[in-house]
Amino acid sequence: MLAQALPHAERRPGVRFVPTHERILAVLLLAETAVFCVIGRHFVSADNAFEIVRLSVEVGLLALAMTPVIVTGGIDLSVGSLIALSAVLFGKLFRDAGLPVGVAAVLTLGAGALAGLLNAALITGLRLPPLIVTLGSFSLFRGLAEGLTGGSDSFMCPKSFLFLGQGAQIPVFLVAAAGFWLLLHRSAIGRGLTAIGLSPEGARHAGIPVGRRVALVYVLSGVVASLSSLIYVSRYTQARADAGTGYELLAITAVVLGGTSIFGGRGRISGTLLGLFAIAILERGMKLADLGDQLAQILVGVLLLTALGANALLEKLSTRRAA
Amino acid sequence: MTLLSVSGIAKSFAGVHALRGVSFDLLPGEVHALVGENGAGKSTLIKVMTGAHRPDAGRIEMEGQEVVHNTPERSRALGIAAIYQQPALFPELSVAENMALGFESGGLWRRIDWTARRTRAKELLARIGARIDPDAPVSALTMPEQQMVEIAKSLGGRAKVLIMDEPTASLPEHEVGNLFRVVRELKAQGVGIIYISHRLDELYALADRVTVLRDGQSVATRPMKEVERPELIRLMVGREISAIFPKREVKQGDVVLETRGLECRASGIRGVSLSIRAGEILGLAGLVGAGRTELARVLFGLTPATGGQILLGGAPVSVRRPSDAVELGIAYVPEDRRRHGVILELPIAANTTLAILRRISKGGFLDFGRENALAASYVEKLAVKTPSIQTPAGNLSGGNQQKVALSRWLATEPKVLILDEPTQGIDVGAKAEIHKLMVDLAERGLAILMISSELPEALGMSDRVGVMRGGALVGTLSRAEATQERVLALALGHGEGAAA
Amino acid sequence: MIRRYLREWSVAAATLTLLLLLALVKPQFFSGQNLRDILVTKAYILIAAIGMTMVILARQIDISIGSQFAICGVLASLLAKWGLPLSLMIVGTLGAGALLGALNGALVAGLRLPSIVVTLATMVSLEQGIRWITGGEPVRNAANFQWLGLGQTAGEIVVLATSAAVLAAFAAGLRWLRAGRAIYATGSDPEAARLAGIRPAGVVFGVFVLMGVFSALAALLNGIQSTQGDPTSGQGLGLQAIAAVVVGGTAISGGRGTLFGTFVGFILLAVIGPALVFLQVEASWEKAIQGTIILVAVASDAINLRQRRNVGASLAAR
Repeated sequence: MLAQALPHAERRPGVRFVPTHERILAVLLLAETAVFCVIGRHFVSADNAFEIVRLSVEVGLLALAMTPVIVTGGIDLSVGSLIALSAVLFGKLFRDAGLPVGVAAVLTLGAGALAGLLNAALITGLRLPPLIVTLGSFSLFRGLAEGLTGGSDSFMCPKSFLFLGQGAQIPVFLVAAAGFWLLLHRSAIGRGLTAIGLSPEGARHAGIPVGRRVALVYVLSGVVASLSSLIYVSRYTQARADAGTGYELLAITAVVLGGTSIFGGRGRISGTLLGLFAIAILERGMKLADLGDQLAQILVGVLLLTALGANALLEKLSTRRAA
Repeated sequence: MTLLSVSGIAKSFAGVHALRGVSFDLLPGEVHALVGENGAGKSTLIKVMTGAHRPDAGRIEMEGQEVVHNTPERSRALGIAAIYQQPALFPELSVAENMALGFESGGLWRRIDWTARRTRAKELLARIGARIDPDAPVSALTMPEQQMVEIAKSLGGRAKVLIMDEPTASLPEHEVGNLFRVVRELKAQGVGIIYISHRLDELYALADRVTVLRDGQSVATRPMKEVERPELIRLMVGREISAIFPKREVKQGDVVLETRGLECRASGIRGVSLSIRAGEILGLAGLVGAGRTELARVLFGLTPATGGQILLGGAPVSVRRPSDAVELGIAYVPEDRRRHGVILELPIAANTTLAILRRISKGGFLDFGRENALAASYVEKLAVKTPSIQTPAGNLSGGNQQKVALSRWLATEPKVLILDEPTQGIDVGAKAEIHKLMVDLAERGLAILMISSELPEALGMSDRVGVMRGGALVGTLSRAEATQERVLALALGHGEGAAA
Repeated sequence: MIRRYLREWSVAAATLTLLLLLALVKPQFFSGQNLRDILVTKAYILIAAIGMTMVILARQIDISIGSQFAICGVLASLLAKWGLPLSLMIVGTLGAGALLGALNGALVAGLRLPSIVVTLATMVSLEQGIRWITGGEPVRNAANFQWLGLGQTAGEIVVLATSAAVLAAFAAGLRWLRAGRAIYATGSDPEAARLAGIRPAGVVFGVFVLMGVFSALAALLNGIQSTQGDPTSGQGLGLQAIAAVVVGGTAISGGRGTLFGTFVGFILLAVIGPALVFLQVEASWEKAIQGTIILVAVASDAINLRQRRNVGASLAAR
């Protein structure tokens, strides 16, 4: 018996995710750092390094949680708005409801989980596209924050809580990074997530509980966004309905820049961290070199496009070679 | 005057010879049946005729003119149209629009004449006697109706040659007659039809001539009336069955899997009752669309049962999702190897352990050492040809991919193993290895349900052969009773009156 | 007809119900002045939504339109300030929009990059780019720029008439031009479209260019209503446009949807804010309500689809 005629679309799949992308990114990172060491004021200092990390934690947490979401082939646009909603809820809990700060914080995390659960229910329960669901919740969460504050109210961060924003967030971030790395790269669940991203039907046929796994990543995303909001409130010393504006896009940029494929199945926490710091160093360096915020952002956009284009090109070359 | 003729067509893919010299011709107003087992080369031949594949050798002639450099556009322009089991229509667009796209001339800025589109659609549908609303969105039509639209569409393209690939496979019984009427209409209009089907009764009812493909070659072309069924089957198979299969007598134990009146409304399974003992291989034969894969999917929890019972070791169990099945010890190696059997981008090791992630983890964390050891042991046991266990499954040949798929399920240490077309599209050597493996597994006490469309395989490997038709189990034959004729007869519903 | 466009008619019904309730409770809402105000000030969203409809029909998405809007708005003000005659100013602005759209189109259609990420990148770059160039400072408009020198009433009529004309023209084009049907076919199944003689890459490039032009037009219709061109404007325009399109029944998976639906979706979402004000509900709840509407709309779409699919499956099984 002959082998079945190969379908005309058969091709050898792309090179198994080799961190060439990360190597390139790491080089870029070093190059950036070198440039800013020269042109930036006080760039080379422990203080500055501390600042870079401290300022990146909020977006960084979002990016960490965003990585498994994108690995499963989804996306979560609602995290920035959830920061605002969580911040406002936190404020209402300790200021208006008079709850002790610790309790308010825990309840806020719970609210984040519920928000994530809402996304999860619509995405896995009703099989709705994550883009549209999280676009809707992006609007809803921000809207709730605005509604609850009447558009203008703000909450001052309680003194006992300020420690979080002054440096305590760094160990939190490190723990989170380690946690997500373990989840995505070392755990059985993480292997399942990768399988789902590569082929949801294939994963289902292997007995992987696809609905539960996908729900998990969105709930985690929600909890992490709430955690990020607590840090935000502490750092900014106040909570307002405009908190976290644009953070979701920064997080996605960091993840995609780090080499995670927007189509799912391929993503590494190490890449996300590299992407995150590439952006953070760029922004901080530009500021210290008096080159302006906006130029930094423009460069981030250009960087993203270049990274994508280079990746696409690399993939095309490797599939042609393997064929 | 011959309508279409191909001679000496050869085509290989990466060293695999799909076609090794096929010659075939079609007269206007003729229904020419094309038969052959799986892998005989029918699909490839169609793709060559429609221009989707370029032949490595051979000649294609349309109405006496040679066709050099055939492409999909060229073959359509020449009047060759093909209809497959899956309709290639735009679901959101209307019937009229579907029939018009691709056949309207003029640039992008040309105004659409919806009235003309509607009229044309009505005319073409009337020509084949289909009563379908041209304004209806295709997604609202049933499968048979969509098929009618496709046929009408190809007529609109002034098709002279219509290739129909298993056209009745997804049609309910009562629609088959309608299709036959359409085919005869087209015949009368001078259209040449190449009709591919496993259903011999249909061929005897419709076809004028038949060409048999075997192992990529055209072995015979005869007038339909002049060849009897047994001879047709012999030509398709070309060899004695008994010599090939390594089946041994295996001592059978207690009943492992039993179903009573199993039903699934969504997938059309009705009242299936069967049982499989430890050490037994139950073959499941039937035509495409008979419900065998659907039954497997019910047993595995992909489409849960809506009625009846599944019993394991005598106790009723509930299988609502695949993870339930895995937990209970039911394993399913699916038919679609590349999409469901393995994940192409994942390495062999990861593919192997995908169904037993918990078992190779400690406290939720993967034990790569155990994973690699397990994968390596299966690679050795099943003789998977690969440079390493980290090679992505997509880089392997079909046979080796199937072995990896098998490894995944053997690693779950199942009690019941369901194999859906386990050797489809695999080379002879790998086939033999998989057959031997099946017998070894049976000896070790597994209960095996083997779905196979290859009659020799079904008869050669099974202790008993169950035959399905229309979602029901219509008969079970013992190894001694089972002959190809009897199985085919049950599969076709012979004696109850074939489709008109 | 109603059955074919059931989805759009249900949204229309919901909108009409809301308007009816409003008419009963606060009939003042329906004063000519108020209605005109709402439509004129929000017309630019409708324009953006028209362009977005075509992008989504082609199975793409564009979240960079806010920045396109800001850039074209500033450009229009500048061109007028520099003394360009009206027609040139308009052509120049629309042309700029086309170029911006072409950038997205080239990256998506040419390099086959996913549109969500490409437009994310262009959005960030362009948004910051325009802020950088203008230093965040708005451009004071020339006297003849506001209302195109026609005075408010005439200017308002121009805005409304242009919006209506564009809506009608493109609704007709999508239905009656081969180019329009090509968008549907490409979004439904690019491979099948290719076999039918359509060039999917060309269509995709085209809808992005068109989107850019629409962003520019939206900027013009909005810009002439104020005294300055603001480089920080347009934030959230992308979401508002996508919301109108999705609520109006266009499928995010492409190939299905109408401008009639987008129009109804636009009306529903546009009326919420002003209605809240009239009902003396805090206006700050507007976004929350809009978000809920989006989620309800897509959720009910999914439930409907499921029911239809289950029916279809059982039919086939018989």
